[in-house]
Amino acid sequence: MADHNPDGDPTPRTLLRRVLDTADPRTPRRPRSARTGAQRALLETASSRRLSGQTKTIAKGRSRGARSIGRSAHVQARGHLEEQTPRTLLKNILLTAPESSILMPESVVKPVPAPQVVQPSRRESSRSSLELQLPELEPSTTLAPGLLAPGRRKQRLRLSMFQQGVDQGLPLSQEPQGNADASSLTSSLNLTFATPLQPQSVQRPGLARRPPARRAVDVGAFLQDLRDTSLAPPNIVLEDTQPFSQPTVGSPNVYHSLPCTPHTGAEDAEQAAGRRTQSSGPGLQNNRPGKPAQFLAGEAEEVDAFALGFLSTSSGVSGEDEVEPLHNGVEEAEKKMKEEGVSVSEMEATGAQGPSRAEEPEGHTQVTEAEGSQGTAEAEGPGASSGDEDASSRAASPESASGTPESLQARRHHQFPEPAPPPGAAVLSSEPAEPLLVRCPPRPRTTGPRPRQDPHKAGLSHYVKLFSFFAKMPMERKALEMVEKCLDKYFQHLCDDLEVFAAHAGRKTVKPEDLELLMRRQGLVTDQVSLHVLVERHLPLEYRQLLIPCAYSGNSVFPAQ
Amino acid sequence: MALSTIVSQKKQIKRKAPRGFLKRVFKRQKPQLRLEKSGDLLVHLNCLLFVHRLAEESRTNACESKCRVINKEHVLAAAKVKSRFLFLSKN
Repeated sequence: MADHNPDGDPTPRTLLRRVLDTADPRTPRRPRSARTGAQRALLETASSRRLSGQTKTIAKGRSRGARSIGRSAHVQARGHLEEQTPRTLLKNILLTAPESSILMPESVVKPVPAPQVVQPSRRESSRSSLELQLPELEPSTTLAPGLLAPGRRKQRLRLSMFQQGVDQGLPLSQEPQGNADASSLTSSLNLTFATPLQPQSVQRPGLARRPPARRAVDVGAFLQDLRDTSLAPPNIVLEDTQPFSQPTVGSPNVYHSLPCTPHTGAEDAEQAAGRRTQSSGPGLQNNRPGKPAQFLAGEAEEVDAFALGFLSTSSGVSGEDEVEPLHNGVEEAEKKMKEEGVSVSEMEATGAQGPSRAEEPEGHTQVTEAEGSQGTAEAEGPGASSGDEDASSRAASPESASGTPESLQARRHHQFPEPAPPPGAAVLSSEPAEPLLVRCPPRPRTTGPRPRQDPHKAGLSHYVKLFSFFAKMPMERKALEMVEKCLDKYFQHLCDDLEVFAAHAGRKTVKPEDLELLMRRQGLVTDQVSLHVLVERHLPLEYRQLLIPCAYSGNSVFPAQ
Repeated sequence: MALSTIVSQKKQIKRKAPRGFLKRVFKRQKPQLRLEKSGDLLVHLNCLLFVHRLAEESRTNACESKCRVINKEHVLAAAKVKSRFLFLSKN
């Protein structure tokens, strides 16, 4: 219909259509015809079957895909033509014009003859269907194709028709018709076929699996959020792989306790950074009363500013700073924090970032520790331990990190306790000295004890890692240190026992039998569990082959017994 | 040598025995004694089992105190309990 309207006489048709529209939609065909004839949006009610048929044809012309529908509609239309009703008369009037136009679309639509041939067959079926049940279906079919000039609409109609058909339980043979009818019904009711499509469209988002809105974790932002919200109760998870940082434990603690006089900008920046890192340590030592609320509010801002510039380390540090000032002097801390915050942000952004980044791995651990320490600030015990851990981690980090980060950390350490008034000037004076001392001794010392300690500790660290692996739980640094001591003692005892056993056997060489005896005494080897069983259980294959005598080809046993 | 599979931890544990380290420790402790070829492997096995038991005990202690982190107190307590095997005097 749309085709003819522009081509034919729009006026009479439009008028008629309007009339038809106003009329009750006796059959969906009307809407179909209306659509096909004029505008798809127009849904004529009580469309005459003739009209529907014409519209169907027109619709077919429009949408080649809807040929089937068109055919059915066409057939139905023709079937309707048989009947005489006012509507049909009106439709005939309309049809006169469209008839001419029908030719055009038909001509345009090459497969006209084919559908026409089909139409008669459908006519009959349509008639029957019309009389049977849903004459509406027929018009719907016509309408459907007409409306769905573009493929989409056709599909929509089809779908809608199918849906309605399914709902209505139309016979399969009449599906196309039924679908059309159903669609026409819907269309008549609703100007568009969108309604049936809506569920589909709605279903799409439901069916479509949206990728989980996960974004890469921004550690800085994360830490910032933590601080903003509250002192999140972090777990003292020691992510730091550096096991031992004992030597410098004491020094950082001192720094923390010392109130740092506000230094100039550069120092302030470091102070702020240092405070953050150190805050957890000293703060803990000072027994933070757990008043993070006050400082958090004030320092949160600073923290935010810092966090943006800093990496996770800085954020954690800022959080720690918040904790610390709580103890010592809220006001002082706030002031200093703010002052330093500004300077710190600048400084940090420039200088601190570099070293902080270098210390990232450590910083992360520190941050985690700091957070953990913050969280446990209220709990002195764990707080202290975490503080120590932080200090130790920091101590370790300076050692491991390059000199610059160490220096920065050192500065931070003593700059950190600004808010801590009690320590006084003495501490301050000691502060500058201590960081220097801290830095100097490790270097000369390492040359000496390193050959002895480091390999020894490296070997022990292997077992310490195994310990943490077996434990399957996060551990504190102090716990790991304790494990180290235990291992040390264990080795000593082991050697003594082996010596005793070897001497008992009159040998000066410790043999596997001595080892077995030792394990038997320990209760690991029993009559039920033999040494070989343990060897198989816990040692890798290469070692098993070395330990357990196995027979090989050539009547040889390895290892030889 | 052989790398353990990642059971429940993110880091991989090397099950290689630090044979040099063990030998050095034994030599430092008892220079007059000699350790046999495969002896250090058994020593390593012993260490593994010791550490394993200690970790289990520490984990039990931590779980009993309902801490999600193993504290050094847990480790100390575990060592004291298990010291009867090795240590003449408790730590």
